[in-house]
Amino acid sequence: MSLRSGVATFAGKSSYWFLHTFLHGGSSLPGKITLKLDPQILRSLGAKYDVIVITGTNGKTLTTALTVSVLHEKYPTILTNPTGSNMEQGIVTTFLNAKNPKTGRPLAVLEVDEANVIKVTQYIEPKAFVFTNIFRDQMDRYGEIYTTYQKILDGVALAPNATIIANGDSPIFNSKHLPNPIQYYGFDDQPDRDFKAKPNTDGVLCPNCQHILHYHTLTYSNQGKYFCPHCGFKRPDLTYRLTQLGTQTPTSSQFTIDGHAFKITVGGTYNIYNALAAYAVGRFMGVTPEQIAHAFTANEQVFGRQEVIDVNGKRVTIILVKNPVGLDQVLHMIGTDPQPFSFVGLLNANYADGIDTSWIWDGDFEQLADSNIPTFITGGERYKDITFRLKVAGVPDDKHIVEPSLEKVVDRIQEVPTERVYVLATYTAMLQLRKILASQGFIKEGLGV
Amino acid sequence: MTYELNVAHLYGDLMNTYGDVGNILALNYYAKQMDVHLNVQVVSLEEDFHAADYDLAFFGGGQDFEQTIVAKDIQTKKAELTKFIESGGPLLAICGGYQLLGHYYIGADGEKLPGIGALDHYTLAQDHNRFIGDIVIKNQETGETYHGFENHQGRTFIGKGERPLGNVVSGKGNNGEDGTEGAIYKNVYCSYFHGPILTRNGDIAKHLLIAALKRKFPNDDFSQQEALPIPATF
Repeated sequence: MSLRSGVATFAGKSSYWFLHTFLHGGSSLPGKITLKLDPQILRSLGAKYDVIVITGTNGKTLTTALTVSVLHEKYPTILTNPTGSNMEQGIVTTFLNAKNPKTGRPLAVLEVDEANVIKVTQYIEPKAFVFTNIFRDQMDRYGEIYTTYQKILDGVALAPNATIIANGDSPIFNSKHLPNPIQYYGFDDQPDRDFKAKPNTDGVLCPNCQHILHYHTLTYSNQGKYFCPHCGFKRPDLTYRLTQLGTQTPTSSQFTIDGHAFKITVGGTYNIYNALAAYAVGRFMGVTPEQIAHAFTANEQVFGRQEVIDVNGKRVTIILVKNPVGLDQVLHMIGTDPQPFSFVGLLNANYADGIDTSWIWDGDFEQLADSNIPTFITGGERYKDITFRLKVAGVPDDKHIVEPSLEKVVDRIQEVPTERVYVLATYTAMLQLRKILASQGFIKEGLGV
Repeated sequence: MTYELNVAHLYGDLMNTYGDVGNILALNYYAKQMDVHLNVQVVSLEEDFHAADYDLAFFGGGQDFEQTIVAKDIQTKKAELTKFIESGGPLLAICGGYQLLGHYYIGADGEKLPGIGALDHYTLAQDHNRFIGDIVIKNQETGETYHGFENHQGRTFIGKGERPLGNVVSGKGNNGEDGTEGAIYKNVYCSYFHGPILTRNGDIAKHLLIAALKRKFPNDDFSQQEALPIPATF
């Protein structure tokens, strides 16, 4: 380590110690200080590690946590970045916080924001990249899927020897020829048919000839066994195949990968993709399927986001929603609950939520109206938008309570006829709701997301 | 239902950003209240659009790349789309759809791409800037106020035969200069509004549906449909 890097590292570590000890914080400021002193600090910090970079628009956090659990089965020391610290400063801070490894080359499994991949690969050549997926976010915040993927590729171009482990069901990950070794994972559990994705699906143009892609099988959004009847472009052969999808509930999923049965204690097909990605990395790094199965069941806390809150006898699950694909997946997931439930939709449009609420119209709320939900509640700062969305979806007025105030939403939740309640909320609406639940003693803290 | 209307969702599989599909959902919502059943069909790449087959059309916005593909393909539908428009066919075009009905637009990489020129507007680009935010406009003829969310890089200038959908009360509008937003030509309504437009402005959905009904069933009385109240949703 150069003198400059040494000084920078010391300054960063000291600031972390100070922040952590006295202010109970310190996620990115130490990185900021260190970067100021030595912009190339990652070169010396990362040199000791085998780095795995996990990127994509959805599922990064859980895939990273799961991958860490899986790799822990074989590797004792793994460095990883906490949720939300997936930009350059947060990553530098992560390295600064690490205890100096005593022996061997430890692993670092990093969740990296798409645009920040290049800020890592400028200084570190990762051992592997994991591409989860690229879905359109709300575009007032981020770019188009092609721009997003190009940002990732700009970073990958600096690490041509790193193995790419990519979601094979996503056509975009097969759209560019790259020098890197590539392994794909995906779903292979259905018989082949020939159909198109539903009209409102993003990213269905063949990257070769710009005709509309067809599918033999499709999981959700534009992911599946795609092919182009016009030019022959098709899904690549899969290295890791999910061959059977078993029972799904909002809190559990069973499935078979490469002949091995797995169970995870979380619902949602999107989480099965996350598990499949973690499995692929594990296999790539020499972890056995038995060890992976163990890691999936022994680490329930990694699925912590969907905690159940007891609100005077109601079992309330709060789920963050932020973009159309995620929303659709959550709607599908709660629909797998065998028990009756009530539905609450809370919409805000502050910067962290996305200031344009149009995206709720891309969500398939129609599936809710067709199910047997006895009570719907809509609220939040943009309650009018979400209320009309449910009306148009076919939710009848006599089952629909409109309640702008979140305090009153909490009261109303306690009056619904079901024990189970699912609350779908945008980011700031969720924070506000948690604060109210905390002030009424239903949860301990207001901000644990 | 007593009435049926055939709706063309132009390039619905490619031009579908920002919840624009919500316009189809809102049309359906109000159509039901008017005793009208909608048959919605996506008309996309290499598929024919026959003006005579449809009573109403919707053309949404798209991502830059998809729009360049559509800009090429739509030339094959130019004659029939123009026929549909000229014969009073009601059409709602948003954002990229709006741009492609005009003479040309400037793509993301500065390239000038032709539209079909069925309407007399053209669209320029702006450097490193987008008009993003809530917008309110007022239509001087009807007195109606419309609410939306705009998010566009293009700056559109309407032509002689076109009236604006409204004058900007707050926000940027067509080009941030002349105080207009959107365009109306015959029964074609164009706008940069997302939100989506018909979910926040049911009056426009009603205008489109009434125009389609009167055109398809010229001898029927639609006074009941015209009396349908449209409560505010925004």
